[in-house]
Amino acid sequence: MLTRRVRGSWRGSALTQRLIRSGFAGSASVTIIVLALIMLFLLREGAGFLGTYRRELETYRRCGLEFCDLVDRPLAQQEDLAGSLRRALSSSLEPLIGQARARRDEALRLKREVDQLTQTQREVFEQAQALPAAQAAAALPEATKALSAALKAASAAVVIAPILSAKQATDLRLQLSTQIPGKEQPLALINQLQQEFLRVDKEAKARFEGLQEAIETLEEAPEDLRETLSELKELALAAKEQATLHHTLEEGRQKLLNAAQNARDPKEKAALLKEAEASHSEPPDESALQAQIAELREPLVLHIGAYSAKVDQLALHLPEAEIQLPEAMELLQKTAQALPRHAAAMRASVPELRQWKADAPVHLRSVLGAFFFGTQWLTNSSWQDFFGFLPLLSGSLIIALIAIAMATPLSVAAAIYCNQFASPREREWIKPVIEFIQAIPSVVLGFIGISLLGDLLKDLSQLPMLSWIPGFPIAERLNMFNAGCLLALMAIPTMFSLAEDALNNVPQAYIDASEALGATQLQTIFRVIVPAALSGMGAAVLLGLGRVIGETMVVLLVAGNRIAIPDFSDSVGVVFQPAHTLTGIIAQELGEVSRGSAHWQALFMVGIVLFAISLAVNAMARAMVRRFELPKS
Amino acid sequence: MVIATDIEPQEPPMIEVRDLDFAYGAKLALEDINLKVARHRVTALIGPSGCGKSTLLRCINRMNQRLPGAHIRRGSIRIEGHDIHDPRVSLTLLRQRVGMVFQKSNPFPKSIHDNVAFGLRIAGVSDPVVLDEAVERALRAAALWDELKDRLHQHAHSLSGGQQQRLCIARAVATRPAVLLMDEPCSALDPIATLKIEELLGQLAQEHTVVIVTHNMQQAVRVSHDTAFLHLGRLVEHAPTAQLFDNPQQALTEAYLRGTF
Repeated sequence: MLTRRVRGSWRGSALTQRLIRSGFAGSASVTIIVLALIMLFLLREGAGFLGTYRRELETYRRCGLEFCDLVDRPLAQQEDLAGSLRRALSSSLEPLIGQARARRDEALRLKREVDQLTQTQREVFEQAQALPAAQAAAALPEATKALSAALKAASAAVVIAPILSAKQATDLRLQLSTQIPGKEQPLALINQLQQEFLRVDKEAKARFEGLQEAIETLEEAPEDLRETLSELKELALAAKEQATLHHTLEEGRQKLLNAAQNARDPKEKAALLKEAEASHSEPPDESALQAQIAELREPLVLHIGAYSAKVDQLALHLPEAEIQLPEAMELLQKTAQALPRHAAAMRASVPELRQWKADAPVHLRSVLGAFFFGTQWLTNSSWQDFFGFLPLLSGSLIIALIAIAMATPLSVAAAIYCNQFASPREREWIKPVIEFIQAIPSVVLGFIGISLLGDLLKDLSQLPMLSWIPGFPIAERLNMFNAGCLLALMAIPTMFSLAEDALNNVPQAYIDASEALGATQLQTIFRVIVPAALSGMGAAVLLGLGRVIGETMVVLLVAGNRIAIPDFSDSVGVVFQPAHTLTGIIAQELGEVSRGSAHWQALFMVGIVLFAISLAVNAMARAMVRRFELPKS
Repeated sequence: MVIATDIEPQEPPMIEVRDLDFAYGAKLALEDINLKVARHRVTALIGPSGCGKSTLLRCINRMNQRLPGAHIRRGSIRIEGHDIHDPRVSLTLLRQRVGMVFQKSNPFPKSIHDNVAFGLRIAGVSDPVVLDEAVERALRAAALWDELKDRLHQHAHSLSGGQQQRLCIARAVATRPAVLLMDEPCSALDPIATLKIEELLGQLAQEHTVVIVTHNMQQAVRVSHDTAFLHLGRLVEHAPTAQLFDNPQQALTEAYLRGTF
């Protein structure tokens, strides 16, 4: 009896144990399964990207858009070059004509001001004039008187800048006070100032005639080339439109056919088949287009040759002698150096044009290259979409580096202080306060970045005494540095906690040994504790990096969202440029793209890469901790 | 209770503990301890667990002062006649004169060379020639030189347990302390490693005054010149080892040694 009862209860408890066990195992496996599903989903959505993007690139090539870009890309520089020449001209003109222009503008401004001040009286006067003759005779004199008085008062009241001489000011007041409509005195002074300005301007321009001519030459040089190119571009775009239309129809037809195959009702099936038949379209014939491209190829090459010869000629004959201002000189010299490079780039496109074939296949390798090493992320373009990864990656990396560079010293120092120097009471409030930062919603940090930090940075950057900092004064309130600062703040709690743990894990035995050898507290900290905790602190930094790279809201709000590879020519000042990020682009664009399009899939690819980066960073942190694990004390 | 040992009267004893009462907060751990240790002798501290032998050892280099609430209520400790609690005594200098080896080997996670040189480096020695010489001398003193001379830059944790403990001894003697405190240095070691360290103690006593806490009676008999028996925070008997073991004066000592406690 006793044995049976015991055995029975033993069985019962075994069952309970098994249930509890499987309950826990179930929870663990749900988590793992969900993770696997997420990965699977990401991969499924992203995997289609290569195929879709390849098809788009094929269309881009087949329809001749690529052919046009071969010329168009290098040609884009021409406008920049002309622009910098124009800037050189206007900055050289400025000191010569500035005075005259300012005088004229001041006089015109005064006239406007007086007009404004006497607006009411003028209206009354005009109404009086419009009245029938009998009433006008009664009202007009009074209105005239009032207007005249107002004019006198106004022209006496306006403040005249000292740029006009005293005599000019008096003349101007006198002339302005007599401006009664119908009986205007000519505004002699304003006319005179205007004439003066025109004369000075003409003289000044005559002095820089060479430069003026150079600008005109550069602006006119590619006219023929552009004409032929835009002809080609129109053809290409039309072809692309047709190809896209065909593709859409074809896709719809395939769907209908599939539906027809699955339909049970024969009537429905017939209807679907009929509909599919109706949407049948012939693949567009591109042979005509290709013939046209072939026909225009040689003229295009000729134009390129002529254009680059003109550019080279121009580079040799840039009129430097007239220029005196150093900044204009610099601009001019830079342009003079850039012009031959531009011509060479244009010439380099010629062999590419000749080798270009519309039906050359697009390799998977080059699709991958276009994604991972593409320098353009261009969407919803009327010409061609490009999904290049580098602008986003560079933004993410620079922001993460800024954040880590700022958060590492802060959090490590705070951890050392908290773990080693702080009294127990200090420790009691320092730790919770730092860890509290984690509780700030990132969107709130975004506010701070936009409203507070952005303005602060911009104001600071305008202080003359800080102008030695590269990148100052900054142009954009929202930039990578701003985002990096806030991300540093977000990373500090994680890094602080982990670094503090690492310090805590240093065995007491090391500290005992060090103190027994006569080390002071500082010596123990910096020669024993910190070196022993170094790997743990390295892991803390890496995990902070993982957190920073994955953060979305702050970068979306604060990083400035300009999709371009930052310009590194300003060395460290690059951090004050706006950028877009891997996370930000997904958050911003995923809601707006049509499901299944190349753009949609490209965003999933970005997600996959982001996932891989985070995974790698985490794995590195784990490996680091395991590699340098301290013996348990 | 002062027990006469063979101290030469003209020279102050190496370590002198006078009327020491030591407490952790309200709890008295040592009471009325009087102990004199002569130069170049090995003194074993024995007694049951919790009797205060480690506490007494850690009082000698002031390792206890870090613990919150730990304090000396009464009495003094002198090393070569100088009170170690004199405000003019620098803790760094004291600990350079009084080295310590712990129960569990605790080499730093650094190379063998850097471990031994640590004490000198923190004392401000940076000349590599001086450091190398001191490292060699210390490793020879710990009978490690022949084993390790070709692998000085290996990580200390790659050594065996016994080697690690001897490395800790080398680290402690590198600053040439007058006194070497050892807190059960062999309790975590196998018999062969223990034997090596016991052999070492005899040599170390030629240059240092050694105080060793041990649980192992045979070890006390083998290595020490004098033995002090503590019980419940009091020093019961202090005598030359042979005398204490063969002919204990106190009934408590005898009971402890016979195991009829």
